[in-house]
Amino acid sequence: MKYDVVIVGSGPAGSVTARFAAEAGAKVLILERRAEVGIPVLCGEGISQRVDNWDMLEGKRWVASKMDGAKIYAPDGTLVTLSKEIAGNETGYVVYRDIFDQELARRAAKAGAKIMMRAEVTGLTKEGEKITGIKVRQFNEEFDVEADVVVGADGVESKIGQWAGINTVLKPDDLETCAQYTLTNVDYKSDYAEFFIGKKIAPGGYVWIFPKGKDIFNVGIGILASLSEPGMPLKLLDKFITSHPKLKKGEPIRVLAGAVPVARPVETVRDNLLLVGDAARHADPITGGGLTTALEGGKIAGETIGKAVEDQKFDKETLSVYEAGWKEAFAKKLLRNYVVKDIMLDFDDKTLNMLADSLKDYKFEEFSTLSLVKALVLKHPTLLMKLKPLLRLSEKSTKKE
Amino acid sequence: MGKPKAKVDEKECLACGGCISVCPQDAVSMCGGRAFVTEDKCIFCGICIKTCPVGAINEED
Repeated sequence: MKYDVVIVGSGPAGSVTARFAAEAGAKVLILERRAEVGIPVLCGEGISQRVDNWDMLEGKRWVASKMDGAKIYAPDGTLVTLSKEIAGNETGYVVYRDIFDQELARRAAKAGAKIMMRAEVTGLTKEGEKITGIKVRQFNEEFDVEADVVVGADGVESKIGQWAGINTVLKPDDLETCAQYTLTNVDYKSDYAEFFIGKKIAPGGYVWIFPKGKDIFNVGIGILASLSEPGMPLKLLDKFITSHPKLKKGEPIRVLAGAVPVARPVETVRDNLLLVGDAARHADPITGGGLTTALEGGKIAGETIGKAVEDQKFDKETLSVYEAGWKEAFAKKLLRNYVVKDIMLDFDDKTLNMLADSLKDYKFEEFSTLSLVKALVLKHPTLLMKLKPLLRLSEKSTKKE
Repeated sequence: MGKPKAKVDEKECLACGGCISVCPQDAVSMCGGRAFVTEDKCIFCGICIKTCPVGAINEED
């Protein structure tokens, strides 16, 4: 079996890479370990409405609800609001991630990509040092797939990078360990994403409540793994829900565990190989959001591969067009938010309360973490001194965020 | 008696992959939709045990 490109993982980054590579004329195979694309869902399911401008998803079947903004609650309950009315630009959707992923896979298939299910990748094949494809196990059969390019779209637990000599191991302070319930029959009306921060609520992370339409809500928690104990996310989430006047009357229709990289991006390119999405650590270190970067990065990866196939050149230098592309698109934002994450970790609950109090009536210029960070630096220049040079750096790319 | 090792309770594991991403020894893999520790590689650093959001990884002698 020989393909131009074999993509390990049918999540958003994998499917979008597949689509754009196939549209550029490449012969593409996607391998998926699971029995169904998009299932089980491992996600809070929030995404920016910027996705509307990208021609990634057709129809609206993947949209569960629209959100009008975000409410952030400090440990003492002080509320900071980023709303559509104030910001005037797009905010967010809550999506059905299973339908979302299946829609992206459909676009890949439409472009000509092949998909193989229940196919577990067990290693890379090499001729000397050169990567020539992958080893696969499927329904108790083992076989090799030859390819000029191998794409690791294998998520937070990525093995592809490590097999190619890229160190993708996450330090415990670069991983959020998560749990989430989808609750039904909740007698509560909210059009906002709600976030709750504080050492007692979620050490090094936050609790989120995303309205999913009707009386359904995604309620989840992320805790920094270095501050967590075995089972802590689920325990603290249970505690949060039972002490919440509205949520405690809801019943779960889904429970999930999750893991989100909140790290610096890694090297993403080798001869004959590249990494996309969570495997490339392309998730926002403050919010943990990784969908938009997976889509943006996947498109750049697919286009780069398309060109490589046309030129029949698959060395690191040729594929580095992808690395330069995602760096241009979102590296500054990820690096800046990584520094913000580090600074925020040093703040105790009292400081968080004070910061929230200073922003409770603030008119944010747009709906983004950048406008939140800018406001904080404006109000507390000494406290956030380390951020100043980074903000100036990122001014140029503000419009893209 | 050997050194203790990490062991995944496969009935409890929800396959989030967090343990795999933090293992410094590449000792954890996904196997049949559940995390699985390769004993020979495990150095019992305990990082995966602490990381598991549902407490599905335990110490085993």
